[in-house]
Amino acid sequence: MEEYNSGEEVSFNADEASVSVKECIEGIIGGIDYNQNKVNQWTASIVEHSLTQLVKQGRPFKFIVNCAIMQKSGAGLHTANSCYWDTATDGSCTVRWENRTMYCVVSVFAVAVTC
Amino acid sequence: MDEFQSSEETAFVVDDITTIIKDTVETTIGSSAYQQNRINQWTSSVVETSLNQLSKLGKPFKYIVTCIILQKNGAGLHTASSCFWDNTMDGSCTVRWENKTTYCIVSVFGLAV
Repeated sequence: MEEYNSGEEVSFNADEASVSVKECIEGIIGGIDYNQNKVNQWTASIVEHSLTQLVKQGRPFKFIVNCAIMQKSGAGLHTANSCYWDTATDGSCTVRWENRTMYCVVSVFAVAVTC
Repeated sequence: MDEFQSSEETAFVVDDITTIIKDTVETTIGSSAYQQNRINQWTSSVVETSLNQLSKLGKPFKYIVTCIILQKNGAGLHTASSCFWDNTMDGSCTVRWENKTTYCIVSVFGLAV
């Protein structure tokens, strides 16, 4: 009775998180050109805002939000993730976004808290 | 006494993990030049091998390993991470590696179970 989710498994909703993160990115760098001076602020803002939105959902998860912004200049970029966790309750989602001058890749990892 | 020992074994040790990751990247990419058709294998190989090595440590952690491989051609790349977790038990470490044609950035996040 006192337990938060007595018997009910709460799993990560990747779609919702994806929508939330896209909005954060649009709000921060939508329509702006790559600017070396500002890119540090942008990555920091994106991860902080995304994290705040995710935590607001009030679910029993620990979160990790990762953001990479790359200038469009023809260089090749590859990313990969691998996770060692409980596949029933934990999950991740990755959002790829771009505009005229840059790519932005945000990954969210959610790990269930067992207490 | 027992408590002290068990907290040593269950801590996230950044140095050990950094060494494991560095070795994995060296072995997988080493001095190879950036090649678009092999890059997928490299990223997959780095994360899988790293994860295998980490799980062999036998600590009570869930792990997330991310790897970024970038061709050196003058483009700017910035990354940031933000984490909502238990500061006393969870931890992360990032390893930056490069050779003549490639940058490789690997991040490991460990969350205590």
